[in-house]
Amino acid sequence: MTTLSSTQSNSHGDGSATAAPADYDVAIIGSGLGGLECAHILASQGRRVIVLERWRQPGGCTQGYRRGGYVFDTGMHYVGGLDAGQPLHDAFNRLGLLRLPWVRLDAGGFDRVTIGRQSFRLAQGYDRFVDVLAADFPAEREALERYVAAVRQSDNVGDMQMSRQMMETNAWEWLTQNFSDELLVNVVSGASMKLELRKESLPLFTFLHCNGGYIGSAWRLRGDGGQIAASLIGDIRRMGGEIVCGAEVVELVEDDGRIDEAVCNDGRRVRAAMFISDVHPAVTMQWLRGSRMARGVYRRRIAMLPDTFGMFTVSVVLKPRTVRYFNHNEYVYRNADVWDFYTKKGPVGGLMVSCRVPEDAHIDASGNITDSELYATQIDILTPMLWSEVAQWESTSVGRRGDDYKAMKQRRAEECIELASTVVKGLSGAVKEIYTSTPLTYRDYTNTPYGSAFGIRKDYSNALMTQLSVRTPVPNLMLTGQSLILHGLQGVTMTALATVGEISKQYNNR
Amino acid sequence: MTREEIIQKVNSTLAEEFEVDESKISPEGAIKDVLSLDSLSLVDLVAVVNYTFKIKIPTEDLRKIETFNDLYDYIEQHAK
Repeated sequence: MTTLSSTQSNSHGDGSATAAPADYDVAIIGSGLGGLECAHILASQGRRVIVLERWRQPGGCTQGYRRGGYVFDTGMHYVGGLDAGQPLHDAFNRLGLLRLPWVRLDAGGFDRVTIGRQSFRLAQGYDRFVDVLAADFPAEREALERYVAAVRQSDNVGDMQMSRQMMETNAWEWLTQNFSDELLVNVVSGASMKLELRKESLPLFTFLHCNGGYIGSAWRLRGDGGQIAASLIGDIRRMGGEIVCGAEVVELVEDDGRIDEAVCNDGRRVRAAMFISDVHPAVTMQWLRGSRMARGVYRRRIAMLPDTFGMFTVSVVLKPRTVRYFNHNEYVYRNADVWDFYTKKGPVGGLMVSCRVPEDAHIDASGNITDSELYATQIDILTPMLWSEVAQWESTSVGRRGDDYKAMKQRRAEECIELASTVVKGLSGAVKEIYTSTPLTYRDYTNTPYGSAFGIRKDYSNALMTQLSVRTPVPNLMLTGQSLILHGLQGVTMTALATVGEISKQYNNR
Repeated sequence: MTREEIIQKVNSTLAEEFEVDESKISPEGAIKDVLSLDSLSLVDLVAVVNYTFKIKIPTEDLRKIETFNDLYDYIEQHAK
């Protein structure tokens, strides 16, 4: 193994180059999923890594939060492609995440999409997915087969030409050309609360990739999503890596064309041979204000990219033995306007309902729940929320936003529960407690501008600018995280692999 | 915008953003060489054209733009 830290020299601008070993091989800023995955892989390669997290708790969007004795999820609800041979299997195996208590969602309908009074099932397995929907839309069987073929193609991220072509194709136009029945476009898009549907900008690649892995196989955790971060952190520490919370980076100091150290707001200075930022790129650009390598034109173009919308979440604690556990996700829409309901005024027009696997559930070796009777204890309801809906409180902080903000959240939560009750029978009467969060909450806890749920918005008509490289103009600074190549658990993991790949290239080139 | 105005705007903007002497920009000059662009900073060029002229350049089109003349032509054809 080449060790960058022992060979890096530090020019002092006076003609002398003094060998000054860095404290770490790689310093990773931000402990979201991408940052922790990079740290895990690098530590497993024998690198000396440190992760700097500004918040008191690591994990970013995978962290859980505790209220009233219950732990709730911030962003993680389910994941696709964990079976052998599927896109996430090998990566999660390498990261030690397959040992977590994953539960396989219902094969016959892991996602159920209700539009108005009609319900449809999205089934696991590519052939079954086609068969189940073709039963409802017999004239569209061939179109469904073309759709599934495109989904599978998008999984092959190594095919750069195909990826680029799909990245420059408008998802909405492709779907409406492929399917004759617009209701079916709404149905196959119906489980897309995990991305921002936007007719005028969403690339086909992003759409297919975010939906595809789940058709292969779909899973959720027993317990909260914080187990992912906890597992990664446990491994990183066992391998000698460090995780430091409460260390907010405010500047990256450049010397002789490379980042030399990260300066934290508590005065801590961390010197490393390589740096990875798992923080939103626009925030990262603020640390590079004095950089000669990252010119103004680069920093401005990154900082100006628009972000995807945020989410409003209602975390519901249920009264005991009132709602049966359901092993799938429910997506509910008042009308067949899945792609733009969130832009319309009026009560909540669409949402996702995720049911937490009870802690006492039994899981067999294949990930199936074996209990014959199981009651839910918690559910999460999610719906998009635009920044404009919370902008009037943008200068406030957590817990101090005022009564009108609380009233807005209460009204929204009631609308969500009313709509969710159309598919989760008895929900209205089963609510024991609720906790809500808005894009403001996400902004303040995860340091994401505008509380964006999925980071920088990809635009098929401007793919070159919105599909960011993991490289930066500073050779020893890399980027990772959901704003880069792809978002979601799968996307962030693929991006982390790409980031670490670039680091390896640098080691190999020395 | 006339072609002359486009040429003037492109040259002055690129000279400033990419920190080169404007006199080094000539119609037949190779953009990548004159502005010292690699694959990453090539996207900076796309961004400057986007913000200055409200034109989005797809990957395929970018491949065909080699000289400053090619860029003037492209902007002239696509400017609204």
